[in-house]
Order: sequence, then C-alpha cells, then structure tokens
Amino acid sequence: MANGTKHGAAHNPEVIENLKLELRRGCLIVAVLAQLRTEQYGYTLRKALAEDGLAIDEGTLYPLLRRLETQGLLVSEWREEDKRNKRFYRLSPTGEQVLNQLLTEWRSINASLGKILQEA
Amino acid sequence: MSKPNNPAELVARYLQAVRFWLPKEQQGDIIAELSEDLRSQIDERETELGRTLNQGEVEDLLRQRGRPVLVANRYLPQQYLIGPVLFPIYRFVLKVVALGYLVPSILVWACFMLFDASYRAEHARAGWASAIVSAWGGLWSIAFLAVGTVTIVFAVLERAQARSGFLENWDPRKLPAVRDSNQIPRSGSVIEVVVNQAFCIWWATSMSSNVVLDRPHVRIVLSPHWRYFFWGFLFLAIANIVLAAVNLVRPYWTGPRAAFRLACDAAGAVLFCWLLKASILAELTVTATSSARTIEITNAINLWMARSFPIAVIIGVVIAAVDAHRIFRVTTRRNRLNQDVAASVV
Repeated sequence: MANGTKHGAAHNPEVIENLKLELRRGCLIVAVLAQLRTEQYGYTLRKALAEDGLAIDEGTLYPLLRRLETQGLLVSEWREEDKRNKRFYRLSPTGEQVLNQLLTEWRSINASLGKILQEA
Repeated sequence: MSKPNNPAELVARYLQAVRFWLPKEQQGDIIAELSEDLRSQIDERETELGRTLNQGEVEDLLRQRGRPVLVANRYLPQQYLIGPVLFPIYRFVLKVVALGYLVPSILVWACFMLFDASYRAEHARAGWASAIVSAWGGLWSIAFLAVGTVTIVFAVLERAQARSGFLENWDPRKLPAVRDSNQIPRSGSVIEVVVNQAFCIWWATSMSSNVVLDRPHVRIVLSPHWRYFFWGFLFLAIANIVLAAVNLVRPYWTGPRAAFRLACDAAGAVLFCWLLKASILAELTVTATSSARTIEITNAINLWMARSFPIAVIIGVVIAAVDAHRIFRVTTRRNRLNQDVAASVV
C-alpha cells in the first residue's frame, strides 16, 4: 500500500504540480518584494519575474500585489506612460524591512536544507 | 445572445463579466489594472507578429486567463460556509445522521413491506416500483431537511468559533482514554448478573403458568404455547448470567464467548419475534366489562403485537449484526495492532 502510494505520487503530474506550487508560494512573495525595490507596473513586473525564471500568472500576481499593498509593504500610484494610465508599484519603507527579515529567514532555511541534504 | 463583432468588444465583454463578480468599491480599480495588463499583452504579441491580433487569437488569450468568475474570485478574500477546521466534525455528524436515521428508516420500511400484509396492501397497490419511488421521495425530503439543518448549525458554529477561538483552547488531559473495544467493563457484567437474576426469580415465580393473573375482577390467560416461551426465556436468562459471570472474571472478549453472546441474542430475538406472532393472549376477563368487549380488546392486543413484528425483526437484526461484528473484531488482530502503535509512541 505504502509503495503503491509512493509510486502513484511520483507519476501523478497533478501531485507534483501542487507540491511545486506550495514550494514556490512563499518564494514568490520574496521575489515580488525584491523586484519592487525598483518601481514597476504589473505587466513589466510579470515579465521581469518570468525572465528571471519565476513565471507568475496575472491571476496570482495582481491579487498578491493588492494584498501586499494592504499590508503596507508596497505603495502604488496611477501614472500616465506612453499615453496609457498604468499603476506603478514600489517597496514601502516597511516593505524594505520586511524583505530583509524574509531574506534572512530564507537564507536560514536554505542553509538548513543544505545541511539536511548533505547529511542524507 | 449576440456574438462579439471585433476583438475590442470581446475584451470589453470579458472585463464586464469579471467586473460583475467584484466588490463594488474595488471594481473600477481592478478592472482598470486588468484592462491595462490585457492591452499590454496584446500590444506585445502584436509587435512580435507585426500585425494586429484576430478575434480567434484574442479568444485564446482570454481563455488562457480563465473564466471571469475565477479571475474575480482571486481578488476576493477566501470564504467558507464550513471551514477546514470544522469540516471533519461536520462530515462525522453527517455520517451519524445517515447511520442513525436514514439506515434505520430504510430498514423499517423494508421490514413493513416484507412482513406486514396490510401495510404492503396499502402502499404497494400500484406495484412495488411505485411503492419504492414513493418511499424514496419521502426519505429524500427528510434527508435534505436533516442535512440542511446540520449544515446551517455548522455554518453558525463556523462563524461563532472564528470569533471565540474555542478550538484553540483545549486540554490534552481531557482527551478520552485509549479505547479498547474488546475490553468488557466489569460494571456492565455486574449489572447484567443482578438484572438477569432478578428477572429469573420474578419469571419463575410469576410467569410459570399460562394464567398470569387471576384476581377477583381480572383474569388473564395466555395461550398453551406459553410454556415454550416461559422455558425459552428462562433458559436464555440463565445463559446470560453464566456469560456475565465469566465476563466478570475474565473481562476481555474471546471468540467463543462472543459467539455464545451472538447465539443467545439470536435465540432471544427469534423467540421474541415468535411471541409477537403467536396470538399469545388467549383470554381476558374483566368483571365490569362485557365478554364481547374483552374479546375485542384481546384481539386488538394480539393484532398490535403482530404488527410490531417488523420492528422486532429490525432490532433483532441490528443486535445480531453488532454481535457478529464483535466476533470479527475479536478474531482480527487489527485492534491489538492499534494498541501496540499507541504503546510504542509512549
């Protein structure tokens, strides 16, 4: 039974996708905050993340940006660029502090994982 | 519904559909940003291709973004009628409702249909199929009512517990003791011995004759078959005393003792069902009442006893099923393995 379950999970793309999604979820917040140390609007942010290997769909990104803004980690303003109104986001001072804390935590988790994997 | 004439109208329709599901105060802001994102994506694609996108390509792009209600849903806070914390308890209660109400209801109906000719004649006039459909309809409406009530209660609890946080405040010391279903509580065995002894004494002294009551004004006489029931119930009560006494000394179910309990209960159920059908009341005499009236009462009592037969069958089957399950439990090692796991954790 245990073998069967293990075998099933390894060959079930949906299970793998969900696990990857869970793994990426926390990292995406750090990545978004880090990218927004430089002001950007949603579409360019999405492209920048995708170019760096962290593709995120718009259905996830925009609600996340709103949530981070509500939490006071981002600030945004509507501005005209290329004759179009766009919403620009950047990291707030609180966001900068939180990003530093998250990076410290991420490095600590990374180091722990490295240790665990070396032991194994 | 008219079809969109051009890609711009298609995009406008999509945005309108998303807007419908958004909270009013956020609609303008979210739609403006979503619209800008879509336009940026279309512009980029058009620059790559060196031409404007046709309607089919815009359709693909929108389809890729997802159904409007799902897109809007991502902007909304997560809401539950019954959240993940209470859901296991909700599912457990629904199972209890199903087992405690629906299953017995089906069994009672089936027994009445099988064993009660008057009930069958009344409900299966147009055939068995229509009787099943009619019973099924009644059962479903009550089932929906039961499930609906449980769901409403849990929805209210969900809101209450979110505010009170009572699920967070708990004491590990108040958890129930590890259950060993093969253990026989000594208190239960003592009660069984005492009750059965009292029954035997009363039964032997008061019920040995088929004239169970002979007073100046009232006389009750049972049918001559009574002697079978008298000896049968007395024998079963003695057997139960013996079993309870052994259980008192060795309070753990074993295969032979569980089988003995099944045999006793099955014999008791059969005897009781037979008693209900035996028209056991033979004569009732009350001096102040006419003989025609007492005959009428006698017949009515016998008739109602016979009508209770299906319910007795169900109770007998349930008791036998519980006893049979006990034999299965005792003879499998699963229970013991569970205890070993608990012991290994400690």
